[in-house]
Amino acid sequence: MFETSPVQQPVQPPRQSLAGRAYLVRAGVSLGALVLLVGVIAMAAAKGETHIPLGTVLQTIANHLWQAGYDVDPIDAGIIWNYRISRAMVAAACGASLALSGAVLQALLRNSLADPYLLGISAGASTGAVSVAILGFGAGMVSLSLGAFVGALVAFGFVALLAIPAGRGAGAIILAGVAGSQLFNALTSFIVTKAATADEARGVMFWLLGNLSGVRWPDVYLALPVAVIGLLGCLWYSRALDAFTFGVESAASLGVPVRRVYVVLIAIAASMTAVMVSIVGAIGFVGLVIPHAARFFVGTRHGFLLPASALIGAVFLVAADIVSRIILDGQVLPIGVITALIGAPAFAIILCHGRVLR
Amino acid sequence: MINHDKRVLAVGVFAAGLISSVSFASATEYPLSIENCGTVLQFDAAPDRVVSLGQSTTEILYSLGLADKVKGTGVWFGPVMDEFKDVNASVPRLADNDPGFETVVAQKPQLVATQYQWHVGPKGTVGTTEQFNELSIPVYTAPADCVGKDNAGGGDGVRHEGFTMDLIYREISDLAQIFDAEDRGDALIASLKERQESSLARVTASGHDNVSAVFWFSSPEINSDPYVAGKNGAAGYIAGKLGVRNIIDSNEEWPTVGWETIARANPDIIVIGKMGRRRFPADDWQVKMDFLKTDPVVSQMKAVRSGNIVVMDAQSMDPTIRLINGIETLAEAVERLSASN
Amino acid sequence: MSLELRNVGWNAGFKKIISDVSLRVTRGEFLGVIGPNGSGKTSMMSVLGGIRAPSTGQALLGDQPMKKIGRRNLARHIGFVEQQADTIDRITVRDAVALGRTPYLSLLTPWSGHDDAIVCEALASVEMGPFADRMWHTLSGGEKQRVHIARALAQQPDFLLLDEPTNHLDIHHQLGLLELVRALPVTVVAALHDLNHAAMFCDRIAMMDGGKLIALGTPEQILTSQNLREVFGVAADIEIDDQGRCHIRYHAGNQKTRAIKKDRVA
Repeated sequence: MFETSPVQQPVQPPRQSLAGRAYLVRAGVSLGALVLLVGVIAMAAAKGETHIPLGTVLQTIANHLWQAGYDVDPIDAGIIWNYRISRAMVAAACGASLALSGAVLQALLRNSLADPYLLGISAGASTGAVSVAILGFGAGMVSLSLGAFVGALVAFGFVALLAIPAGRGAGAIILAGVAGSQLFNALTSFIVTKAATADEARGVMFWLLGNLSGVRWPDVYLALPVAVIGLLGCLWYSRALDAFTFGVESAASLGVPVRRVYVVLIAIAASMTAVMVSIVGAIGFVGLVIPHAARFFVGTRHGFLLPASALIGAVFLVAADIVSRIILDGQVLPIGVITALIGAPAFAIILCHGRVLR
Repeated sequence: MINHDKRVLAVGVFAAGLISSVSFASATEYPLSIENCGTVLQFDAAPDRVVSLGQSTTEILYSLGLADKVKGTGVWFGPVMDEFKDVNASVPRLADNDPGFETVVAQKPQLVATQYQWHVGPKGTVGTTEQFNELSIPVYTAPADCVGKDNAGGGDGVRHEGFTMDLIYREISDLAQIFDAEDRGDALIASLKERQESSLARVTASGHDNVSAVFWFSSPEINSDPYVAGKNGAAGYIAGKLGVRNIIDSNEEWPTVGWETIARANPDIIVIGKMGRRRFPADDWQVKMDFLKTDPVVSQMKAVRSGNIVVMDAQSMDPTIRLINGIETLAEAVERLSASN
Repeated sequence: MSLELRNVGWNAGFKKIISDVSLRVTRGEFLGVIGPNGSGKTSMMSVLGGIRAPSTGQALLGDQPMKKIGRRNLARHIGFVEQQADTIDRITVRDAVALGRTPYLSLLTPWSGHDDAIVCEALASVEMGPFADRMWHTLSGGEKQRVHIARALAQQPDFLLLDEPTNHLDIHHQLGLLELVRALPVTVVAALHDLNHAAMFCDRIAMMDGGKLIALGTPEQILTSQNLREVFGVAADIEIDDQGRCHIRYHAGNQKTRAIKKDRVA
């Protein structure tokens, strides 16, 4: 009846299928990425506020890993193993978690500017920390970390409750998150200006900008499992996340249990973020920019994007931590400043190269 | 402003020298004009009612026997010195921290004495100097907080010129002059100087060589970078006076320095602050002590290993009248250290 | 395999969007759904497609309530194409169609050559084969719609549900799309806004108004002047040609306007 397109050639099967060579390439890249991560952690052990010779660093690592028995000054050994390496591991776990949460939220909320703090978590953490440090909640028994964690959960609960009557869907969650964040940020400012003495305010503000200085091995035992479990949990839903490409209704029509996926993934992202923020404070830009960088390298399929985001996030944050310790002599910059200084221009570069927007 | 302060300092030192060189007490002549922090305060008579905002200033007034003239106090950092417990009990405490402007004014003071400018000053949280002046209430600021110090940046401020005890002596003599209690003022200054001299003598006698120390106030989180004393503050003064090297080389009053840096500097003595405040878990000196003994790196420091940890009243590490206690405590510690070597 | 609604109602909050809709889709037919804006077409399609659960009544697939069948299973039988679905992701056409295999994939059944073949087939059926490696955002509106249909076809469904698939396409692509869809070996339910298209392509038409299904029958039965006037508020004449097909001739404006025009001319 009406002209449709002329008869086409039979469709060729895709040149790249998941078999053989492609697998090898992917395996190679993953191995390379892991080596990179190990390498940057080793560098974090070697570089720091004070200068420790590389030989000492290697000897210390050898001592701990396979009882090599070198004679190393206990203070140097302690610094390398208990301070620097544990700090690097937490930085890696934190970077991975934040990047992962960012990638997941960007997919669920269908918004390139979503980041884990959208759910009100960093705002709540700051209110919690400030309540402990300035209002004296807990009377000196409660640490800043615990206060931050509780604050993060309270804020997230508030946002979740707000999102329900606001209607379902991405728009409602984003709006509720913005409202919640504004509220808790205002609370923080209020407490700080009204009740804080100078050094209280300074101490808390410094902590809030992201601070890895207090990290020791017990923090690693918390952060690392959280990051790994979070990664596995999100990977389980990677196909579901792909299905959100064309929206929520489209995902539902493809058989994805939308409600359940939302609840589980947001819960995972919120928990990971709350734990990380309570350990190291609110480090910005990682959750926002790293997923875009990862897309730049591996594309949008979440089976690759999620691990790539985690890995790039981990390497990035360890590197940023190194920079924060060596950039100024004898002083440590808050890591949030470094991530912003690197993250903002990096984001601009990625945007310019045009291969972005999710 | 700086030039002005230098001039005030010069005048103050001269005046202090003059007062202390006179062997018999002289009564204050009224009307009195006295320079303080770049302004001139006028008094027609000794004030009968004073509100004191700042524990050190309050304790100075008590030391001068002027407790009956104190009609209200505020800005407390810990319990009052033992010898003034009873006297303090009958003085109304307006607030533990900073009281409101109206609360202060309701006491109808003829003078407001403040220890820190950020309570009463150009941007005071209690009120500005102008606000009080408008009600004809003069404001006396402790010289320790304005001489050679830049408070414009807020917070603890940055000290450009090293703190010295002379600033406390000046506060004592100023207040003694204002209240016509110069004989008591002279006596107090003399006794403090004598205590300082004898501490110095003890240290010299012990024959120490090149002892180093770090002063730890508190930390936001027990594991994170601590607040330690910079070189220009009161703690730095204590160390300097006794010939002890402060390993921290910063102009800030209480900068944060990483444990890594402190551990590698490996000072001979670690001074930890004891205070009544409980904001951070690390405020408690026992928590600090615990950390020193259990942290895998810090516990390896020679000061921790040999037990050369000094618990010092936090207010002795601040520019207050208690500084002399700090000097005595540290002198004792240096003596002990030298003895054990 | 049948697709059915029994006394289905759907509420948004307290507002009744559709009520008491009963409908059984016959195997192999092309069922058109028409009605003015706000008549509840999209909501009815969503319930029919298993995307929304009905507030009252039952939606059944193969005589089994959809609730019991489960989302994933439903997706293997029903393909749904929304009015307008777009993405700013940088994906290829092939990736977009590959999403249609989601209901069949899991950790234990990963992507295989079989899935590749199905994707190719789906692309071929919508004549988008050569576009397979093109980037999504370089496609035109019509091409994107065809890829959406390919994605639905990759689900290997028994039923294809299209919600106003030709809304924002030009006439060439509107007709091309409907022609293509009619030729597919699936049962099609399509919400259409152009009544002539409904007349041209549908075997049966369901007419909705005010949330109710008010008529269900062949185009000749449904598309009458009276129905058009009462439900759509337009005046029209229906012409039936020798092959029994309906053609609607709309009258522009109402009687009053025509009278005024006559006077002017005269």
